Amino acid sequence: MSATATAFGAQVPQPVQHGKPGGIMRRLNFGTGLIGGLGLAAIAAVVTNAFIPSGAASSVNYAPIAPQLVYLAALLGWVIGFMAGMGAFIGPIRWLMGRDLTHADAEYMAGKDLGKARYWKFTTDHKVVGIQYLIMVMIILGFGGLLAMLIRTELGVTWAEVFTPSFYNSIIGTHGIAMIIGMIIVVMGPIANFIMPIMIGARDMAFPRLNALSLWLLAAAVPCLISSLFLGGIQDGWSVYQPLASQGPPGMLGYQMTIIVFAISTGVASVNVMTTILTMRAKGMTWSRTPILVFGVFAAALMGLYAFPFYQYSQILALSDRIFSTSFFKPLEGGSVWLYENLFWLLGHPEVYVILIPSTALMLELLPVFYRKPLFSFNFAVAGIVGVVALSGLVWAHHMYMTGWAPAVNYPFMLSTEMISIPVGFLVLVVLGTMWRGVVWTRLPIMAVYAVIFNKMIGGVTGIYLSDVPADQYFHGSMFVVAHFHFMLMGVGLFGAMGGIAFYFPKMTGRMLNERSGSIGLWTAFVGFQITFMSMFVAGLQGQPRRVLQFDDLFNISNWISTIGAYIIGVGMLIFLGAIISSWKYGDIAPSNPWGSKSLEWQTPTPVPLDNFAVLPVVTERPYNYGVPDPYEKEMREHDGDLMTKVGAK
Amino acid sequence: MTATDVRPDPDGPETPTNRPPSMHRVKNWIRRPYARGIMVLTVVIGFLLLPLCWLLLAAMNQTGAPASPIMRDIEQTVFVFTLVSIPICAFVFAVLVYSLLGWKHVKGDQVPKDESPAIRSNTIGVVLWTVVSSALAFFLVVWGLIELAQITANSYGTIPADEQPADSQALIVNVTGQQWVWTFEYPQYDKITSETLYLEKDRPVYFNVTSKDVIHNFWAVELGVKIDANPGAITQTGVTPDKAGTFNVRCAELCGLHHAYMETQIQVLDKGSFNSWAREMGGSKTS
Amino acid sequence: MSTDAVGTQETPLYPPTGEPIGEIARRTKVGLWTLIVMSVSGTLALVVSYSYLWALNVNGGWAPPGASLTSSQTNSTLPSKSDATFAPEWPFWAIFGLTVLATIAMWFGYKQLVKGHRDGMLLGGGVSLIITVAALVAQWIQITTFPFGASNGAYASAVLLLCAENIFNLLILVFLHIGLLNRTRKGLISPLVYYQTKLVSYWMVWICVSVLLGALLTTFLLDSPNTEPSIFGTFKLPS
Repeated sequence: MSATATAFGAQVPQPVQHGKPGGIMRRLNFGTGLIGGLGLAAIAAVVTNAFIPSGAASSVNYAPIAPQLVYLAALLGWVIGFMAGMGAFIGPIRWLMGRDLTHADAEYMAGKDLGKARYWKFTTDHKVVGIQYLIMVMIILGFGGLLAMLIRTELGVTWAEVFTPSFYNSIIGTHGIAMIIGMIIVVMGPIANFIMPIMIGARDMAFPRLNALSLWLLAAAVPCLISSLFLGGIQDGWSVYQPLASQGPPGMLGYQMTIIVFAISTGVASVNVMTTILTMRAKGMTWSRTPILVFGVFAAALMGLYAFPFYQYSQILALSDRIFSTSFFKPLEGGSVWLYENLFWLLGHPEVYVILIPSTALMLELLPVFYRKPLFSFNFAVAGIVGVVALSGLVWAHHMYMTGWAPAVNYPFMLSTEMISIPVGFLVLVVLGTMWRGVVWTRLPIMAVYAVIFNKMIGGVTGIYLSDVPADQYFHGSMFVVAHFHFMLMGVGLFGAMGGIAFYFPKMTGRMLNERSGSIGLWTAFVGFQITFMSMFVAGLQGQPRRVLQFDDLFNISNWISTIGAYIIGVGMLIFLGAIISSWKYGDIAPSNPWGSKSLEWQTPTPVPLDNFAVLPVVTERPYNYGVPDPYEKEMREHDGDLMTKVGAK
Repeated sequence: MTATDVRPDPDGPETPTNRPPSMHRVKNWIRRPYARGIMVLTVVIGFLLLPLCWLLLAAMNQTGAPASPIMRDIEQTVFVFTLVSIPICAFVFAVLVYSLLGWKHVKGDQVPKDESPAIRSNTIGVVLWTVVSSALAFFLVVWGLIELAQITANSYGTIPADEQPADSQALIVNVTGQQWVWTFEYPQYDKITSETLYLEKDRPVYFNVTSKDVIHNFWAVELGVKIDANPGAITQTGVTPDKAGTFNVRCAELCGLHHAYMETQIQVLDKGSFNSWAREMGGSKTS
Repeated sequence: MSTDAVGTQETPLYPPTGEPIGEIARRTKVGLWTLIVMSVSGTLALVVSYSYLWALNVNGGWAPPGASLTSSQTNSTLPSKSDATFAPEWPFWAIFGLTVLATIAMWFGYKQLVKGHRDGMLLGGGVSLIITVAALVAQWIQITTFPFGASNGAYASAVLLLCAENIFNLLILVFLHIGLLNRTRKGLISPLVYYQTKLVSYWMVWICVSVLLGALLTTFLLDSPNTEPSIFGTFKLPS
């Protein structure tokens, strides 16, 4: 018997420190990632090109296969090479070889003593990942915003075509998907990563290396999307309905790769977020002592978890149709366009709640701090979130009322869609109830709530119109729908996120966001937003279809107004972005708890230490313990007492 | 002696049998300044929003006035839904406004002292809100379901293409969408085809719709009819136009480069003119 | 560093963070459940694709062109193998059987490990690895010998993707097996720290279910119930 066998199970072997802490990770960073990605992409493209005979047979109706295979090989090479260069595979390889991380390795990977360099590496500290997500979000939203300006320019210049139809179609699609990706991660990225673990009293997330993985997968996906613009773009809106999306240029492959990679990124992030919240809350933090933002983040992660695979598979199947000539979505050969639509909307609907719920929960989290009173009816808020999650998977086919796929099914979907307005209404009540009789501390983060609730009402009501099947017979496919979802996703989602970022800015960056310029930016954007999208509702009511670059003169005025509004949004957003950037460098140094919040994340010093807490906290009281006893309660009790006396009761 | 003994009660002496204590609670609640303020604001905002009911319809009529019972139904729905939504929106906006103008605010960098009442819940408020919002949602659903059933009974193809009798009273039009043109075929009239949609006033028409390439969407705007044109499938819809005139068909699903130009016209003619058109095109009614 | 970093026999610790292994095991188990949910969604997407296309039989294109009974009035202009038919059913069940056997072997190894028998774990894991590789090879052979090509209709497309998913899952299993065996050999997996083996065993049960779903579909959902699909681009039915 060898020594190992008799000692088997006696104790866990000590991991051996090979060389300096971090091992090969010391030499890997964004630079090596770029080298790996671009290098492998180039090699893959060249090799694939060499193996395909020129003029290779392609399937009828579709573009020649050779450039597509080369592009696809380049995309795959980029993703794999980039992730390898970042060191994403080192973890699994070390696991396989039995070379586990030591404590020093783990600290290195968390970025200890690395200074600014840690933001350019595969760093596992959730706070670093949160900041990296914030930067990525600003880049993605900026890219999407730029495309929005181009779109509105085309629609504003009603007397000529500014762009070719092909380019216009591709920018509307790319704008859509860039914004959707940006909005999914705008709260879940920075705030779920940076703030949530501290808020629940943990030292990091459940799977720190998965955290870094989800961020760098996103970073790998974005260039795939941008590259598609240079190869003809996507021709079919962000929903890329088949079979239109299968026609035309190779750019579509860039989109498909973006989604396939992004779905892995969000899936992994969902696993991480859900496990962290389920297993790592501080001692004493029962569910009724858990802040509402945690519920919101959990709900979004859950919905993303079950819904994203459908989107991912829809793109895998579409890719297969394109490259391997399968016929999932080719009706001539047995494919069905309705299959695509169902798979797509099975994600497409829960996904809007993935955007809305964290933003709303974030607003709910802010209200008690700035009104100095408890959240009104915490249980009701939880019920609202649970209700939305429960119904989210049952409403998808309201996007398909007009497809004719199953007319009988329109009835139950109309029912479930109108029902979902009830739990959403619960959340509005909680906001109103928390505002009720509260003394308002009028700082920038809370002022965003007013913008959010206003937009939520308009978005919600117009959603009711759309949920009614007969009314949808007029509105489907018109600019009315576009205005509705911008009110929800941007009006509620983005403005809410802006308020949240203003709130957490001191904790994340150590400086106060300049309120003057931040407010000017936010409210300028808000005014521009109302002008743009109210006018867009009018265009939709008048009967303008969506995704058109030229239209009847009837729609000219509404489009001119929308375009002016859009430029105002652009100015406002630039001001807000400027406020973020300049405050990050030159803002007032923030105290560790500038808002006087009682939540755990504000009880840490700023900058937050690597391990978050010197001693893990123990939670003993309900959250939101603000406020004083209600004077009216006392008066009512006295009054009741008087009344009892008057009517002779004892 | 309590203060209440001093104030004369304008309703007369209290007896144990009339006016339950909860009515006093409500009366007292209404006496609070913020309650009245918010109620007044709600009513004012509500009235300011009321013209929307008509303005929305005015916008919808800009392409053309409704030309079928379906379109009129749709407009009525928009009107009613707006009307029903206004009180809720007005109330929410009133609270937003009042919280900024009516209740106290604090500015500045100092964390304010806690002065707000620590209201963690209010059963009446929650119950009232749940009941009202559910009732409203229920009303909207029932309205919608009934309306949908009516429209379907009158128009949606419950009759698949192969079972539609050629000699039926209704006009049957086969609509084909392809990049980027609409074609209409009249199987009852020797299969004449046209790129303008000719219909007969007051005669029900069934549309069978398909596509030869990608997904399009057949939208007859003033008739209130919309259905996807799917490749590989035949979808149905229908309507009875009740106004003569020229109307619009637009494509409402992005279908490629010239989606924006995929439009055509509808000519609704009276019976005589429709028949002469059909004869001119070389079709006589089969049967 | 001292042995404190790995704890004692009673409370083994996880070296990177110093937390008790029990905590880490619990967290990883929850993570695995969420991963299973994700995988279930993905498999469901393929199941839905297969069944929906089977039910619709658009343009008569469900069955491979040479299969009898179904409509041949398609407008398909692609070259197709005219002898393309449905795949035989037994290979799907054979692969399912192999997956089940591999899972049983892994469970055996896991149970042995918990009792402290390192050789039992290596045996069970090793056998499981061999059977998994056999399943992988079998699946590959099945794909390359299908009596149809990718462009032979919707059934062909759906079956190929189901098999591709199996290949993907089996490849991951091979990786996991090698890791578990190597780590057991090195003593990193032991009766003190066995949660990774346990979780892989659970995961393998899910993979069995996933393979089973594919086998059920390809056995029971063959001829489409829609025997009179309309002809593409027209308003006619086949006569």
